[in-house]
Amino acid sequence: MHEVSHGAWTKGHVSLDGEDMYAPDKDPVKVRRKIGLVFQKPNPFPTMSVYDNVAAGLRLSGVRNEKLLGTKVQENLIQAFLWEEDRDRLGESGASLSGGQQQRLCIARALAVEPQVVLMDEPCSALDPVATAKIEELISHLKEKYTVIVVTHNMQQAARISDVTGFLYYGRLIEYGPTRDIFENPSNELTERYISGKFG
Amino acid sequence: MDLGLDRLSSAIADMGSLAQQSVIRAIEAYTKGERISSQALDNAKQLSILGEEIDELAVELLARFQPVATDLRYIKSCLEISYGFQRFGRYAYDIAQVLEMAGDLSSCDKTIIERLSHHVDTMILDSIQSFKTRDEKLARTLRDRDEEVDRTYLTVTRQLFHGGSTTVGCALASTLVLRYLERIADHACHIADSVIYIATGKKI
Repeated sequence: MHEVSHGAWTKGHVSLDGEDMYAPDKDPVKVRRKIGLVFQKPNPFPTMSVYDNVAAGLRLSGVRNEKLLGTKVQENLIQAFLWEEDRDRLGESGASLSGGQQQRLCIARALAVEPQVVLMDEPCSALDPVATAKIEELISHLKEKYTVIVVTHNMQQAARISDVTGFLYYGRLIEYGPTRDIFENPSNELTERYISGKFG
Repeated sequence: MDLGLDRLSSAIADMGSLAQQSVIRAIEAYTKGERISSQALDNAKQLSILGEEIDELAVELLARFQPVATDLRYIKSCLEISYGFQRFGRYAYDIAQVLEMAGDLSSCDKTIIERLSHHVDTMILDSIQSFKTRDEKLARTLRDRDEEVDRTYLTVTRQLFHGGSTTVGCALASTLVLRYLERIADHACHIADSVIYIATGKKI
């Protein structure tokens, strides 16, 4: 979305399946179809129902068959661990759910368009520990099917839920490797000091 | 967290000092023919109490601060080293018990055990020292030095099995004390391994 911000710029490379995601000829809409986004603050479409939030992406893609939409909404709410809790509230506003439920609704909405990668930016920072635990459990489940990238400042969260960890510092990738190595025996001194909270 | 780690280091240092003294005292009692089982038992109990304190402190640090990297390796190693020190205390008590049971050993040839105990004592000292100063190089010398202990233990035990001029009491006491020294040396090696793990993250 940076391209719509005045004065915004990008640097470095992000590639997916060997393709540069920042290439000038890259269609941002197609990129968004491949990479589902979940943000820090749960942001369901406030004027839409729970059902419509999940169906929104599919409708934009041209799906009009209500039966198919209904099946997809159910599938994705199940995937996002929300179906059991909210199956009777599909017609209510997405904004009426609790914070943790809203975040899972956003995850269901991201999954509905079947992305290759789900990018979550601090997905639990606005949530209490119980809601956080549910999202983390969901992430652990989702990673069997999707590539999930989580941006977090919470070291313990990274240690708990990831298989591989990258440590980024001022835009530079300092270290990248199996999570266990990063947290038990990091090879970079900067990583060691940062994850141990001994910085500065 | 740093305060907790300091407390942990200090408790480990206390344990190390007491554990080493216990072993030295047990060997001294063997060479001089003294009975010290009550004192050795007190030391073993004290080491056990210190070990429990270390366990509690380590668990508290893990729960409250979720340490990672070197701090995590250090705390894990403290738990293992604390166990090693408790074993030192226990083997010192075992030696003291052998002396109680054996009675008068003044006519026994104690040369080999005296020599070996000096060797094991320096191993204990260096394992503790390498931990205090996180001296990986010193820690790496322990495994080689343990070979002499193993060799002596096996050689002497084999000789005793195949008969010799010594009495049953002397033979039994020698074998048991040698066996405990061999175990103590092994635990000194484990402590040194932990030092290497703290320094490098590599398990030996």
